Amino acid sequence: MKPLTFRLKSRPPCRIDASPLVPAALAGKSRDELARLRLLGWNESYPAGELFAISGEDSTQVVLEGLDGSLVRVGAGLDGGELTVVGHAGDYTGESMRRGTLVIRGSAGDYLGAGMRGGTLTVSGNVGTFAGSGRGGELYGMAGGCIVVRGSAGDRAGDRMRRGLLLIEGNVGSYCAARMVAGSAVVLGSVGTHPGYLMRRGTLLLADREVELLPTFNDNGRHRLLAVRLLLASVAQHGSGFRRFARCVEFARWLGDLGCEGMGEVLIAQ
Amino acid sequence: MSELAIEGITIEDTFAEAFGMRATRLIVTAASRAWVRHAASSVTGFATSVIACGCEAGVERELAPRETPDGRPGVSILIFAMSAKELQKQIERRAGQCVLTCPTTAAYGGIPAEAAREWLALGSRLRYFGDGYQISKLIDGTRYWRIPVMDGEFVCEEKVGLVKSIGGGNFLILARDPPAALAAAERAVAAMRRVHGIILPFPGGVVRSGSKVGSKYKALLASTNDAYCPTLVGLTRSKLPRDVGAVLEIVIDGLDADSIRLGMRDGIQAACARGREAGVLAISAGNYGGKLGPHHFHLKEVLA
Repeated sequence: MKPLTFRLKSRPPCRIDASPLVPAALAGKSRDELARLRLLGWNESYPAGELFAISGEDSTQVVLEGLDGSLVRVGAGLDGGELTVVGHAGDYTGESMRRGTLVIRGSAGDYLGAGMRGGTLTVSGNVGTFAGSGRGGELYGMAGGCIVVRGSAGDRAGDRMRRGLLLIEGNVGSYCAARMVAGSAVVLGSVGTHPGYLMRRGTLLLADREVELLPTFNDNGRHRLLAVRLLLASVAQHGSGFRRFARCVEFARWLGDLGCEGMGEVLIAQ
Repeated sequence: MSELAIEGITIEDTFAEAFGMRATRLIVTAASRAWVRHAASSVTGFATSVIACGCEAGVERELAPRETPDGRPGVSILIFAMSAKELQKQIERRAGQCVLTCPTTAAYGGIPAEAAREWLALGSRLRYFGDGYQISKLIDGTRYWRIPVMDGEFVCEEKVGLVKSIGGGNFLILARDPPAALAAAERAVAAMRRVHGIILPFPGGVVRSGSKVGSKYKALLASTNDAYCPTLVGLTRSKLPRDVGAVLEIVIDGLDADSIRLGMRDGIQAACARGREAGVLAISAGNYGGKLGPHHFHLKEVLA
């Protein structure tokens, strides 16, 4: 069976909440029922058949094609199955997803994987701000699962992160892993200002030796840590860039932010 | 019914009586094989019999770096106790005093999640040694604790699986004299060390003080098995054939009955391999008439 495919016909008149287009919500629906499925816009709803050309049958593998950033909450609440996005997924992509695989062949907007609890989210391009964080007002950010960004991420990546793995192959903006509570984030490219700002616990692994840490982080020497070896063995499964990074054996260990609990860990590859 | 014999050595028509236990498997790794062995000998020390040690423990096998979670030399250790509560107490004490203390080591669970009946706390207890500086790390669904110690960090899996298991599988080597019994026992142990899923908890894998249940002294739960003591053949209801001058026992704890059967078979065959001329006269097994445990390993079935 071919994957159930929704191809965006043209740019919608407003931003559309695409969260109903996930495998669990589409299972067992006929083509007519799929076409009649209402998707919320700014102040009215639109039938899916009006916005998308629908083809294929296998609802365990859903494909959204031709996206231009006008859809938001793509894959939000995903609870199993496989969702593939081709194009520019908008803001809040993969928000609160719990299980399954969300693959974005393209880029994504702000709040990628916000409040994510499980599953795997992969983006081949760049993403906006607050990747792996939580919605405004939420106490915690991402709390499980794995986000892999092949491109770069904007400011505040990993903000308030509580658990899980955030992997960024490119660069990140400012305030990476700010207010981090736990979990692990890895950045292979350059890092903006204020990494780990007010982080309480958690691990931020950086390849960027030139990174400028806050004065509220202190140097705890260079180490070859077994736990880092275990972590990197897991990280190495996510592509050649991470496999190369996993060969690093020695890391400078900085602990902070002493402005709060001070048990956050920034490890810089040597 | 014809009498079973191997190389002229009589295999008595009897059975080993074993009982249910609870077990776990610890994987201990270290920077070198030497430090793995230091840790393993310490963890499995004073763990010969539940009668007085609280648990029975031994090395199942040594692990190559490719077989361990962190790619370093390792060892697989099996620990058996009579209850989950006692096993919890034992692994916490032994890992805390013998692995955490040993330079460069790390400890992981060795029971697969799908096989575990319940979980025993390991790192989640030992972490308190970190005095607040400990860090947990969830990697691929497994939680590890990183406890700062003077050579860096002690890494330990949060919990280890518990499985139902069997303790007290055994067989007896009846020989003409002590050297012959010892040589046969050493051959048997060498063969049995190659079987996975079992341990031989006694020193060198061999017991000379086989016991019976109870004693004339009220304080003792077990006492010498006088029926198999060659120095008492004229005094007690001896079960020893004429000419037997020494008996050694091999006790086997295993994760399942098949592993124990395999261990007993390989051990008995190795003990008998050099024939009656080497001084081994018969193979028997220890039982209590079926009153002690539900698992009966009949020698004839084991060797069939």
